[in-house]
Amino acid sequence: MGNSLYTVSEEEKYFFDLRGYLVVRGALSADEVKTCNDAIDHYGDEIRTRSIEDGGLARGSSALTGQEGRRELTGMLGWPEPYREPFRKLLVHPVVVSRLNEFSGKGFRLDHGPLLISAHKGAEGHTLHGGGEPFSQSVWYHQQNGKIFCRGITVAWQLTDVNEGDGGFACVPGSHKTAEPTPAEVRSVEDDMGLVYQPVMKAGDVLFFAETMTHGTLPWRSDGERRSVLYKYASRAAARAVGKFFTPEDRYGDWVGELTPEQQAVLYGPGVHHSGQLPLLESDGETTRVV
Amino acid sequence: MDARERYFWDLTGYLVVKGVLSKEEVARANDIVDRYWDRVEVGGSTARDSVAFAGTGRPMMPGILEFPKPDCEPFREMLAHPVLVKYLNVMCDKGFRLDHGPMFIVSNKGTAGHTMHGNGEPHRPHVAYHHQNGEPWVGGVTVAWQLHDCEEGMGGFACVPSSHKAMFPTPKGVHTGDDDMGLIKQPVVEAGDVIFFMDSAQAHGATPWKLDTTRRSILFKYTARTCVRSGLAQEVSPPEIYWDREIVEGMTAEQLSVMYGPYSNHRGRVPFLEVCDDGVVRIEA
Repeated sequence: MGNSLYTVSEEEKYFFDLRGYLVVRGALSADEVKTCNDAIDHYGDEIRTRSIEDGGLARGSSALTGQEGRRELTGMLGWPEPYREPFRKLLVHPVVVSRLNEFSGKGFRLDHGPLLISAHKGAEGHTLHGGGEPFSQSVWYHQQNGKIFCRGITVAWQLTDVNEGDGGFACVPGSHKTAEPTPAEVRSVEDDMGLVYQPVMKAGDVLFFAETMTHGTLPWRSDGERRSVLYKYASRAAARAVGKFFTPEDRYGDWVGELTPEQQAVLYGPGVHHSGQLPLLESDGETTRVV
Repeated sequence: MDARERYFWDLTGYLVVKGVLSKEEVARANDIVDRYWDRVEVGGSTARDSVAFAGTGRPMMPGILEFPKPDCEPFREMLAHPVLVKYLNVMCDKGFRLDHGPMFIVSNKGTAGHTMHGNGEPHRPHVAYHHQNGEPWVGGVTVAWQLHDCEEGMGGFACVPSSHKAMFPTPKGVHTGDDDMGLIKQPVVEAGDVIFFMDSAQAHGATPWKLDTTRRSILFKYTARTCVRSGLAQEVSPPEIYWDREIVEGMTAEQLSVMYGPYSNHRGRVPFLEVCDDGVVRIEA
């Protein structure tokens, strides 16, 4: 797929539609990669290591288990100058804008992130999640009359090399269109049926993937550190993160306190990352109640 | 929602549920409307360039959820009415939400119709219809409570059945109603009925009101959990409101453009980005 960095080609559209992901090579120069890595190093003390005590992200999978959790860092866009600048540049990098205008439509937006995912040798993997079945409204992939409509795309900037067999990001290509549920042993990668694929990437490459594609992480096996910064974008009117204005009181004011819990339940803001805060309703046609 | 209703909903894009409100409930709501009639505001004509739908401006009654107690109660009871919840849990899935509204349309004889808007093509992700493995899903459903009777040909809500699945754009004559190819249908309703329709996935609008009695239809605009159209979402969408200060402070206009909160009905208020041949990202003119 040799073409301009700043325009999306017909071959790229074909590849993304078919596979659910796309790697654009050499989007960042070595100097740009170094600037990002230096900023992360400056905040190295704030990198947190996830616990694996409760099964971790491997969720008990023998194929994904590791000796330690993955490492995470957030908040880059709000860092003081000059550390935030390289990450703000990535936010609307021309490689991103050109692809997301095509894949998610103009007006695409940052839903949440960025998140640095880092790993040292031996770090656990992450069970594969997502898939075309069951239908997931927040990240729905649709194609109509030659145009792609992907409601949720993650853009993962690679700040270190990922060679074959190193681990890290992995996916089931084509699974954004599956109409059958993913077998448990594919999610756990304990018997992946030969379907799980780990792209090879160099520092400076950028990975786009449809969030509805089945994806996750393989244990990190390289001697070098994994560093990938993930920006979670959504199409203009799609919401995954709930943001600051989620509860009925935050949105409508005090008067909603006069409403029943059932009436308040339909006044919550949009988004699915509510950590169980959202009351769900059920009805037999005679009575509405919170589940 | 039984198999017949599911079939009708999937096929046509709308559903009339009969007798949801009793006569007493309808009378109570109408009595309140009569007492607040001086609050009615008449807007512009929604017929636009249509000859068939031409007429006077559309009267609306705002603020019904915030009427003083007990006058707000019949309308608040509609928000999460058991019949509504039963259907929307199937149509939009659990976690559906009120996106905007209610809009209370109180047309008089001669009030203009509303050109047909929405359709399956072009695809609108936030309100589109999808069906997979036996389950329907749609991003936006309007629930229209009827406080009046309306026989065939008398006006009010109308739609192009099955247009939520159209893969071709709506012809101009169907949009305006001036040459509708026999496709526009105005469902017959009685006071107490509720119309569910796929808002903007389906081509829908209104035909001019012809009855001597007023049209009284209260439209609650619901969406599925992750879809955002209008209402309060547009007030909290600007980056400096939607995000914490330090996240967006000092960002360029291009960076800010991807930090607006979600909603579809921005009418150009959200700047779009484009990439020049030399790789410069700028706000689209």
